Amino acid sequence: MKNIIRIAWRNLLRYTRRTLLTSSLIIIGVALVIIFSGIGNSFKNEVIGLLTNSNLGDIQIHKKGYVGSLDNMPLDITIPEKGLEKIESLLNNNPEVKAFSKRIRFGAMISNFVQTTNMRLTAINPVEEIETCPGLIKRIKKGNSNPETFVKPGSIVIPLNIADGMNLKVGNEVVLVATNKEGSVNGMTFKISGISENIMGPQGRDGYIHIDDAKSLLRIENGEISEIAVKLNNFNKLNRTYKSLKNELSLILGVKTGKPVFEIHTWEELSPFSSIAQIVTLLIMVVRIVLISIVLISVLNVMMMSVYERIGEIGTIASIGTLPSKILALFLTEGIILGFFSAIIGNIVGIVILLIISATRLNFKFGIMELSIAPQIPTAEVVLTLIIVVIISALASLQPALKASRMEPVEALRHV
Amino acid sequence: MSLIILENAGKYYISGEVKFPALKRINLSIDVGKFISFVGPSGSGKTTLLNLIGCLDKPTEGKVFVAGVETNHMDRKTSAKFRGANIGFIFQNFNLIPVLTVYENVEYPLIMVQNVPLEKRQQKILALLDKVGMTDQKNKYPSQLSGGQKQRVAIARALVTEPKLVLADEPTANLDHDTAYKVIGLMHNMKKEFNTTFIFATHDQKIVGEAEVIYTMEDGLITKAQENKIAKERI
Repeated sequence: MKNIIRIAWRNLLRYTRRTLLTSSLIIIGVALVIIFSGIGNSFKNEVIGLLTNSNLGDIQIHKKGYVGSLDNMPLDITIPEKGLEKIESLLNNNPEVKAFSKRIRFGAMISNFVQTTNMRLTAINPVEEIETCPGLIKRIKKGNSNPETFVKPGSIVIPLNIADGMNLKVGNEVVLVATNKEGSVNGMTFKISGISENIMGPQGRDGYIHIDDAKSLLRIENGEISEIAVKLNNFNKLNRTYKSLKNELSLILGVKTGKPVFEIHTWEELSPFSSIAQIVTLLIMVVRIVLISIVLISVLNVMMMSVYERIGEIGTIASIGTLPSKILALFLTEGIILGFFSAIIGNIVGIVILLIISATRLNFKFGIMELSIAPQIPTAEVVLTLIIVVIISALASLQPALKASRMEPVEALRHV
Repeated sequence: MSLIILENAGKYYISGEVKFPALKRINLSIDVGKFISFVGPSGSGKTTLLNLIGCLDKPTEGKVFVAGVETNHMDRKTSAKFRGANIGFIFQNFNLIPVLTVYENVEYPLIMVQNVPLEKRQQKILALLDKVGMTDQKNKYPSQLSGGQKQRVAIARALVTEPKLVLADEPTANLDHDTAYKVIGLMHNMKKEFNTTFIFATHDQKIVGEAEVIYTMEDGLITKAQENKIAKERI
């Protein structure tokens, strides 16, 4: 094999310009995949991190039917106290669950005594919430951003657009008016403790109050809640943990119906950004397909030319007694070496460019989110690209190599 | 003892409905250790005959035996193995591998065909290069050699596997007169040294006289077989 590699290597160097040209094409293709994948994945991860860490959590658990009516934030589709105990025990026993936060979500009218508008409220226990969504605190731009006390009983965090629209400042008093599930209306006065970014997008009208206040406002006397947001120890194990929790939850059956009473969703099912994330993944795939085409066409072309130019030489080595399998191996190795070294150089070029981008940081705005992307080296992508290029190079070389190995020596020698 | 036997061996090429005979029912027997030449004009069938003897081609009719083996029905792999073990080739255009040095060209059949261990092959190659007078050029590439030097390397490559038979098709066609004689002389010496059967095809009348037996070919037939006593005595 060592000799085959040596001869194949020298044959590549024999047509230096052609080899360099083909190699350059592969290098550019591989580097583009690495750069695009590095930036694309970092952007995706940054936004996903922003969404899951500041609001959604990695996974959410609701009573069955809640997510279908999510826009209405129904108060009659809630997790009852007994069910909550079972879910809490299940989550506490799962080693992949880092933290979870119990929430009551509802719609309310907010008034500054002059103007009134509607908003969406998430009632939380600040300690639980910050363990589950540690990024939330960074989104509070004005007021109390202490992780343990940013929402105290009697205080409210309102979004920037409502604060601007109603000319509200930290320390001002507002009244929240909400209808509970029985239909009775109640109101409570709150002091603004913080003003946050519009967490769920430019139209986001999401605010936070303490869970005890929500219970008073909505006159919830038992311990029922709307949802549980779950944070995992390892985001990469999202799907596995989701499946195991789903299986466990499906065992909690309704007394009357005998069917599972809770539903579980990953962040992807709850955020419209998941489709953008899928598009990014798709684009990376497209770039990869373009790379495969580049490698396939350029290696096939260079190997076919190589075989046609060396027909006489193939005749010579065949007549000397070189087995067809060795002739096949010789040409295959040539293609594989070309692909392998080009992919290595392409990977290095891509990594160096990513490191430069990472050192300078890439700042841009995505909607209302200000992102500062420091692309990471996509290790898996580097290895995958290398493997893909080598496999495609081998496949592209196969036809010319087979042609060379099947040549009749007497025919081939006539080309000398 | 016959190394090569041809029994009514013929070769026809078919183009459309027309059949072109390249070789017509040849019967021939060549003994071990002979120095043979086939002479004749272009198209007389010399190369076709050498191709049949060298297992590079198969007869359309008749039988070819080389070293006691009938070669007609060998598949591509078997005939490659057989050639690697029994036959050396010297070509008109030298056919050295351009990316390999002189040493590596001679080494090629030992590593790619016969898998000879390093130490043994080093000895063999250096001894042969010494015999063909190319030791001091062993690290040069074919493009750095003259025609005569290239043919000497080709002779070394053909002999390195210690074949029973060496076939040379117009080995001196691309060489000047003096170099051609030197190459033939070298082939003589190698034949003596290794008792290898040498068969060469040529239409160079000056070279023809160097063979022990001269077969004249015309229109695919051997028209004359002549023993060359002068050459025989010299050899």
